[in-house]
Amino acid sequence: MRKRFGRGVWPWRRHVEVLKGADLEVRAGELVGLVGENGSGKSTLMQIVVGLLARDGGEVDRPARLGYCPQSPMLWEKLTVDEHFALFARAYRLDEPTAEHASEGLLGELQFARYRGYRVEDLSGGTRQKLNLALALMHEPELLLLDEPYAGFDWETYVRFWEMSARRRDSGMGILIVSHLLAERDRLDRVYTLSDGRTSVT
Amino acid sequence: MSTFALAGGSFVREHLRARLTLAMLVLIPVFFVVIFASVLGQFAKALGGTMAGEATSAISAGWAAAFLCGALAFFQVSSSRGADRRLAAAGLGALHVALARIAAAIVLGIVVSAVAFLTLLVRSGIAHPAHAAAAILAFALVYVGVGALIGSLVAGPLEGSLLVVLVFAVDVFSGPSMTSSGGVLSYGPSRDAATLLIAAGTGHGSPGGDWLAVAASVLVALTVALGAFWLAARSRA
Ligand SMILES: Nc1ncnc2c1ncn2[C@@H]1O[C@H](COP(=O)(O)OP(=O)(O)OP(=O)(O)O)[C@@H](O)[C@H]1O
Ligand SMILES: [Mg+2]
Repeated sequence: MRKRFGRGVWPWRRHVEVLKGADLEVRAGELVGLVGENGSGKSTLMQIVVGLLARDGGEVDRPARLGYCPQSPMLWEKLTVDEHFALFARAYRLDEPTAEHASEGLLGELQFARYRGYRVEDLSGGTRQKLNLALALMHEPELLLLDEPYAGFDWETYVRFWEMSARRRDSGMGILIVSHLLAERDRLDRVYTLSDGRTSVT
Repeated sequence: MSTFALAGGSFVREHLRARLTLAMLVLIPVFFVVIFASVLGQFAKALGGTMAGEATSAISAGWAAAFLCGALAFFQVSSSRGADRRLAAAGLGALHVALARIAAAIVLGIVVSAVAFLTLLVRSGIAHPAHAAAAILAFALVYVGVGALIGSLVAGPLEGSLLVVLVFAVDVFSGPSMTSSGGVLSYGPSRDAATLLIAAGTGHGSPGGDWLAVAASVLVALTVALGAFWLAARSRA
């Protein structure tokens, strides 16, 4: 996969090649890590897989049901938690009972049910992150892309997050997670390192 | 509820929930119709224009609606870009998101126009209320196009708001009857709506050609807005 960003206005326009041939694979039932320095292109790579960014070259083979948890929450400040679930349920084409069941389950699992009626602007950073993650999970995706999903989680939530991920991996979900912490390596089936625009397995 | 109604309804609520927006919704039309109108009349006189008193009140209501709608449409694009794109990529599609956004913009335009129209009605009365209402709505919808276009060109809230104000100011002072020569720009985005509104304010009817011109400028503006909303919701290069 290749990607370059242009910066500035012509004639001062300069291009930066962020991805020069990054290549990775996540199979069903795998929990795979992606590490790399700040600015190495991890988020860029994920956004290309999701379809938020266009790529300059390479191929993406992605399943129909994809879940994506962006690094900084992409949410509407003035809409409530429940309104977010309702909108994403439509995007994922879930019927009403399925959507209700899924959001109830995630509100319980991540323990933020009492904030259902809150607007995002009134949520704490960690609770926003819980919603950000829940929206990626509500349609039980085949492939789940998590971009530092636990930033802002308290310890208990952090532990529960890894339990949730492991449970989903065991039931066949493929998960790619951007993570900086070495302590997490033994939870992962494989770790890709992104450096100088290329990936390598470590 | 259809997906379209659900998304459009959410996007309308998103803006009506901001307390400051609600206050502006009332204050800006009052300010324009009461204060801006008299200033505008003096300016027109100084610039050699021919705008009469009733016309300045009427057109100020149009400007109020235009300004509010331009700002709201700009923020519809700029403040929700991330979440809209995520929703589109999650399966709703950029076109559906854009259609919901434009529906919300039209609903907000109707609300804003209604407030501006009522302010005008209470303040000075209007010779041709139905014509004036249509013309004010046209002002609002033309600026949905302006605001959305600016939103898709500049990301920063400060730069964007300033640009909306700039276009607005140039448009105001190049409007019909403002100057003797036709002004710096002979065609501001709201020129056709202004012609209609001035006629309605002074009690003249408007010829069919003027109505067609307004319909065309609204259509162009909404098409531009749809394109801008679509660009904001789709994947970036
Ligand atoms: N829209 C953009 N325009 C120009 N350059 C960009 C853009 N987005 C990202 N970049 C550049 O691409 C590089 C990779 O960014 P990316 O966000 O993918 O890094 P990352 O690996 O996720 O970093 P972090 O660990 O800090 O999250 C950075 O150098 C960044 O400056
Ligand atoms: Mg990143």
